Amino acid sequence: MELNINGTVKTVDVEESMPLLWVLRDELNMTGTKYGCGVSACGACSCLIDGVATRTCTLPASAAVGKTIKTIEAIASDGNLSAVQKAWIQHQVPQCGYCQSGQIIAAEGLLDKTPNPTDDDIDTAMTNICRCGTYQRVREAIHTAAKWRQEENSLLG
Amino acid sequence: MADQRNKSEYVQEGKSKKRSTLGKWTRRGFIGVGGLAGVGLLVGIGGNAFLNKKVRKYSGLGMGEGDSMNAWIRIAPDNTITVAVPRAEMGQGVYTSLPQLIAEELNVEMSSIKVIHPQPEAPYSNTFMLTQEEPNAFKGYSMMEKILASMPLIATGGSTSIPDGFTNLRYAGATAREMLKAAAAEKWGIDVKDCRSEKGHIINSGNNEKLTYGQLAEAAATINLDGLPELKKKEDWTIIGKPVQRLDIPEKVTGSATFGLDVRLDDMKYAVIRHPSTIGGKITSIKNKEDIEGRAGIEKVVLTEFGAAVIANNTWRAKNGALALRFEEDDAGNGGINSTQISTELTDILDKDPIATPVDTGDVAAILSDDKNQVIEATYEVPYLAHAAMEPLNCTVLVDSESAEAWVGHQGSSIVQNMVNEITGLPKANIKVNTTYLGGGFGRRAEPDFIRKAAAVAKEMPGVPVQTVFTREEDMQNDMYRPAAKSRFKAVVESSGEIAAWDNMMALQSVSNSAIGRIMPAMAPSPAKDEATIEGAANLPYIMKNQRVAFGNHDIPIQVGFWRSVGSSQNAFFTECFMDECAHAAGKDPFEFRQSKLANHPRFKAVLEKAAALGNWGAQDGKFRGIALHKSFGSIVGQVATLSKVGDKSFKIDHFSCVIDCGMHVNPDTVEAQMEGGIVFGLTAALHGEITWDDGSVNELNFPQYDMVRMNVSPKVDVHIMDNEFYPGGVGEPGTPPAAPALCNALFAATGERVRRLPIIKQGYTFS
Ligand code: FES
Ligand code: FES
Repeated sequence: MELNINGTVKTVDVEESMPLLWVLRDELNMTGTKYGCGVSACGACSCLIDGVATRTCTLPASAAVGKTIKTIEAIASDGNLSAVQKAWIQHQVPQCGYCQSGQIIAAEGLLDKTPNPTDDDIDTAMTNICRCGTYQRVREAIHTAAKWRQEENSLLG
Repeated sequence: MADQRNKSEYVQEGKSKKRSTLGKWTRRGFIGVGGLAGVGLLVGIGGNAFLNKKVRKYSGLGMGEGDSMNAWIRIAPDNTITVAVPRAEMGQGVYTSLPQLIAEELNVEMSSIKVIHPQPEAPYSNTFMLTQEEPNAFKGYSMMEKILASMPLIATGGSTSIPDGFTNLRYAGATAREMLKAAAAEKWGIDVKDCRSEKGHIINSGNNEKLTYGQLAEAAATINLDGLPELKKKEDWTIIGKPVQRLDIPEKVTGSATFGLDVRLDDMKYAVIRHPSTIGGKITSIKNKEDIEGRAGIEKVVLTEFGAAVIANNTWRAKNGALALRFEEDDAGNGGINSTQISTELTDILDKDPIATPVDTGDVAAILSDDKNQVIEATYEVPYLAHAAMEPLNCTVLVDSESAEAWVGHQGSSIVQNMVNEITGLPKANIKVNTTYLGGGFGRRAEPDFIRKAAAVAKEMPGVPVQTVFTREEDMQNDMYRPAAKSRFKAVVESSGEIAAWDNMMALQSVSNSAIGRIMPAMAPSPAKDEATIEGAANLPYIMKNQRVAFGNHDIPIQVGFWRSVGSSQNAFFTECFMDECAHAAGKDPFEFRQSKLANHPRFKAVLEKAAALGNWGAQDGKFRGIALHKSFGSIVGQVATLSKVGDKSFKIDHFSCVIDCGMHVNPDTVEAQMEGGIVFGLTAALHGEITWDDGSVNELNFPQYDMVRMNVSPKVDVHIMDNEFYPGGVGEPGTPPAAPALCNALFAATGERVRRLPIIKQGYTFS
């Protein structure tokens, strides 16, 4: 099947039912997207599918055919970190870091839809598990990224 | 004996250096003289630079060939400074904080440092973990430390990385700096006093000529110094004690950081393991081996002494194959183990004589049996807990005929090497250990089981690297759990508020006996000698006129292990909630009640008072507050939880104020992060954590059954770090213990109902 991943069409020869997570990790060696639970309960495997943060451990790869798939590897473009990634560094968010690909994808998805989220918006959108407990910094970093994205936009506009 | 131990622990509060002494089990119960009898002959190992008293160049141990200044520092001609960090980076920031210690003395910028994780070699032994004494390789180790270093335990845990490295690594930096100065002086033909070092350069003070460290490294590496340089004073630090940005974070925001599960090698295969369905049981045969081997992508189905595994060309195919395996099993007689039985057994132990009474001062029995006294009595209970690190357990191993190599995120590189050696029989010198980032450790990744299992699977595929993976379900059901425990208290509090008697009997399985029995069997303490299990209950700071703390061991074939903060994870909940009960029984304010009993411990008192101030203790704002104070791993932490009532038994956890006295600290931002994360870890256990047993196996499979605190429940946390010059304590664990009692004490303030059993949500409470 053909998958549109980070702007490139990749051809993979896998079962229809193989979750996108394992196509990325084991067939394409794109290991930024993580396995945490396999049952859509933790968010570690999140990717942007047509712009929406989606848990890929239960998403058959065949269901992503014809859609755009964006993984953590493509959140920075041409080596330039996104506002979210920069805010993550500014607030020194990651601890072990394992959940953070998924957290960043979820934050990108949230800010694309809701550029200036309230704390309640963050609570609703950010349901990923962080076993290290970085939630407070994730929240602060999202507010900072929202501000930076708006500043970027007003400069562009 | 027991009293002496308690006293010595208290005495050190006033000093900045040594903790407990050798010749008895250390605080973590990790090693004792008795257990060393068998290794005494190793003292004779000579010629190891590490054991020499003189400061000298190491052979480059663990650093490969090249211009090593010592075992920790290599400087390349292009001025890149490679720092060997032999501790696992599992989120606690050691890949930054340990290099900070070196950079401070070496006078280089953090940005010029590249971190490598070295092979398990003697200089990297964590002697603090074993002795609880400040190690100093450069001044020369004690005899005991030499013994320990000759059988190195290269491990990360017990919140020991900074206490272990604090002195050694500063000397590593300082001696390297002096060697560079000496090399420059020789080159310029001037006195070394006329050389100074600044930002990676040696400068000739006479004419301001400069050479980079890279230009001098080769010559410097051959220099032998006379004596030890002075270390900088705390007030002159510009890197230690400053919130340096972590070196590992940039690659953790782009998905490029390599965790164990991300290891990808040419021609590697993926194996998914299945464990016996009963604890301690055995899979005796696989009924449908051929069927599964016939499936697409499956290479092989193997049965090892630890369980079965399906090896495939993709994790998902291996997982599906593993799930479809059908077994014959032997339950080893453990098929009846269940949670109801466990709870009954723990109560029975409380009623029996203890096997150890680590504290017994005065005459508790007389006070309790005096009819004139009103005895406050309560029994607390906590369940088994899983570690549930975010990255499921995994290890990649390549076994060849002469050598082996492992790629894994593990808390102990020497443990990895030992286990691959045990399974393959290959000499340790031929076993390479590649330590990746750890997707959480919390004590689980110090265990040897997953290395043994992965090596046994890989042995079935010689010459092929095999990544053996536990699914989340296998990870959760085959953990080395924090044990279930019960703790019974009886106390008499005088009307003045003084504690006349405090009697605490606890029942649980000895953690050290079980865990060290797996890691280093010869060194496992007997349950009666295990200090890890009673830590946090047997070393309370409060003045009590008569006190007894006793322990009864639960003998059950469940594997229990070190779980972030170990004994303190339950004992802080038990003791600090019961302190609250005592305060209320005496009609006293819980903060003032504690404060009045800390006259002998100014550091505890200062932490408690600061936490109360930061948490607005006593504010009339319609919110409910609970306070807790606890020392673990050399650091004292006080916390105030603030709750809002949302409805009947329904609360919002608004805020945690957290004060830590960890002595001198290296990276304050990391300390804060560890407090924030430690509180969430403690709240997850308090609110949700429970592993239950039926028919000899664990019922919980995955996060839907073993839930975690998430963003919506996570409180705002404010952290204050006390400033002083005491020798550093740990920070990875001490944030966790006070969270549950602070929360439960606040719930009592709100409801008048005392939560004596965790997890809280199973008592009908909800949180938002
Ligand atoms: S791995 Fe997909 S949600 Fe956990
Ligand atoms: S940073 Fe470790 S799980 Fe989130």
